[in-house]
Amino acid sequence: MHVTDLQAPLRVVIAEDAVLLREGLVRLLGEAGLDVAGTAGDAAQLIQIVSAERPDIVLADVRMPPSQTTEGLQAALQIRREWPRTAVMVVSQHVETEHLFELLADDASGVGYVLKERVADVRQFTDAVRRVAAGESVIDPEVVARLVGRPRRNNPLETLTGRELTVLALMAEGRSNQAIASQLYMSPKTVETHVGNIFAKLCLEPAAQDHRRVLAVLTYLRR
Amino acid sequence: MTARLRPALIAAAIAMVVGEIAIFYVPRPPPPPVFAALTITTGAAFLAAGIAARDRWPGNRVGLLFTITGYLWLLTWLDHLPNSLAFTYGNLSWTWYQAPLVHLALAWPGGRLRTRFERGVVITEYAWIVVSNVAALMFWNPAFSGCDATCPANLLLVDSSRPVYDAINAVAAAVSIAMTVTVLTLVIRHWRAARGWSRRAMLPLVWISFAVASFLAVQTVTSNLNLPVSQVLLSDIAPLILLAGPALVVISTLLSRSARGAVGTAIIDLAPGATPGRLRDALAQALGDSTLQLAFRSTDGAGYRDTDGRRVDPARPEPGRTMTPLTEAGDAVLVHDQGLEQEPQLVRLTASAASMALEHARLQAAVQAQLEQVRASRARIVEASDAERRRLERDLHDGAQQRLVTLSLALGMAREHAADADPALQALIESARKEAREALLELRELGRGIHPAVLTETGLPGAIQALAERSPVSITITEVPPRRFPAAIEATAYFVVSEALANVAKHARADAADVTIRELPGRLVVQVADDGAGGARAEGGSGLRGLADRVASVGGVLRLDSPPGCGTRLEADIPCT
Repeated sequence: MHVTDLQAPLRVVIAEDAVLLREGLVRLLGEAGLDVAGTAGDAAQLIQIVSAERPDIVLADVRMPPSQTTEGLQAALQIRREWPRTAVMVVSQHVETEHLFELLADDASGVGYVLKERVADVRQFTDAVRRVAAGESVIDPEVVARLVGRPRRNNPLETLTGRELTVLALMAEGRSNQAIASQLYMSPKTVETHVGNIFAKLCLEPAAQDHRRVLAVLTYLRR
Repeated sequence: MTARLRPALIAAAIAMVVGEIAIFYVPRPPPPPVFAALTITTGAAFLAAGIAARDRWPGNRVGLLFTITGYLWLLTWLDHLPNSLAFTYGNLSWTWYQAPLVHLALAWPGGRLRTRFERGVVITEYAWIVVSNVAALMFWNPAFSGCDATCPANLLLVDSSRPVYDAINAVAAAVSIAMTVTVLTLVIRHWRAARGWSRRAMLPLVWISFAVASFLAVQTVTSNLNLPVSQVLLSDIAPLILLAGPALVVISTLLSRSARGAVGTAIIDLAPGATPGRLRDALAQALGDSTLQLAFRSTDGAGYRDTDGRRVDPARPEPGRTMTPLTEAGDAVLVHDQGLEQEPQLVRLTASAASMALEHARLQAAVQAQLEQVRASRARIVEASDAERRRLERDLHDGAQQRLVTLSLALGMAREHAADADPALQALIESARKEAREALLELRELGRGIHPAVLTETGLPGAIQALAERSPVSITITEVPPRRFPAAIEATAYFVVSEALANVAKHARADAADVTIRELPGRLVVQVADDGAGGARAEGGSGLRGLADRVASVGGVLRLDSPPGCGTRLEADIPCT
């Protein structure tokens, strides 16, 4: 797991081809107390910098030059393969889940997938960066909402209570029981009960680790 | 011969026939009616054949030869008149008609003698037949032939000598037989050498020559050797065989008629869009001319080539062959047997039928080519519009969307920095931040509607999944091929599903829908089926017509099956490789 020295600032590399946005991100994260170890305007440059700097986390745009398709995503996948200790957070303008599942593959730890407009909320955004760097999974709430809200035949989600649905969405966003409890003003015990009920109703194997749970829940929701 | 001659010829022929009746019936006890009737019929048939042949083949000598044969044949019977001159002429000329007959057999069907040798044969025949008869008559006493004193005198009689007369006759018979064999041999050679139409025209002559030659030989031999053969059979019935001569004209007319019919049928039976090769085969079969060639000017302008690719020089056709242009520009020519020129109507019919078929094929090819052009240009238009949409979406993404994100970021940071500032300012920043976010959302939807980036980036599976995720109706994706296809194919399949799902959401009142994209050999089949109200119509404003056009632009077909109350099924069959 990622061992983060609380004293030393998180080292981040930013990959974004739009110069203004890149500079904005540098400032935002710098002001939030992170150490921006480098910036890249394309995927090749990103790999080069990551290889040299070994940052704690990489923040990468999905679309990057030269082909403007999924270079950023591919680079993020490569970084996950080659430097597993570096967490990756991908920012995207797509609500579609195709890229998300490509990114998650079979391991959701230290992976983030958020919509670009999240940068408008500085605290939420830096919090997400820190969580991913700490090995958690962060999935954009809007993407999750879309998966949860999908119409289904004989919809099993209809058997869930409103509370359980909320808990399910938070699980899918990568929240731990602790985080869910504090967000919903519940006791951790109550959250655990909800989680148990949800897994039972959806016929899902309970998963011990949070990042495995994210994967299980997301895979279920996408079916 | 000119056209004005025709009435004169007819009048002369009628006069001759009437005269012949007079010859037989005026002066003496008439001959047996059967004999008279057959003799007159035979002569009249030759005269008629002469006129008919002249009509059919103006400028061809065979008409003249028929006419001469007819007159010579009929005038022979002048010996029935009680007049020495007529009597002498009749006995002198009784085999003269054979000379034009030989001439006719060798000149058939073109009217021209083919070789110098044959001209020699014909001249010999004319000369010999006159000389031998004059010689024989000089020693012929009519009493030799059982003629009593009432017979008119032989004006040419020099010395009544039976042995000399018989000797001359024997030599004449031998020459006649030799001549008959020669002519028969030559006719058979002509037939064997002939190709195409000429061979067709020659065949009846071969049979007729055999018949006539046999008759002449038998007549000559029996009359000279005084064999005991029935006089009625020999002189009365046998001339009937000569009718085969005029029959030649009738047969050849029928042949030409049937060939004309065959050409017409061949053209009618020719499948639309048949190749020039098939056209040639059909014409060759109809004309019975296996050597028929259909040649076209090469596209490089260098000479002509026939349907088998052989070089053809229309300016210098091979011997015995001739060329008929099929088009005014002379781009296509028919190379055929020269004998076919005998049948100008048939040539004209064949040529116009062939040019019609060619023109039909040309028009069809032109229409096909135009259609191909239109198809290609439609595909290009759609591709260009797709590319334009992709570019627009990209510009939107890299431009306005990126700037809005940057703006949002700046506003977010501004909010942080203004944490201690005037609440009114904070509220202002907050509302600007919200506006920016709304604008981003709207732009994202706009971009997606213009062209889904996920399609360009990941292909059909991701794009179809995205459509299913967005749909307010439960969507089951049964099958989507994982591989990438050409952009136009992917975009078409995507828009089919997208439009179908939009219709499902808007009109179908459905609970669920199935999406299947199946790759079959050479095509992609896209199916979207819902369990809704059905009754959708392609003509309605459901965007299906535009979708059908879109599918057609890549050569596909769109099918709609939507019985009222039984759901809607939209299927696109898209060819792809």
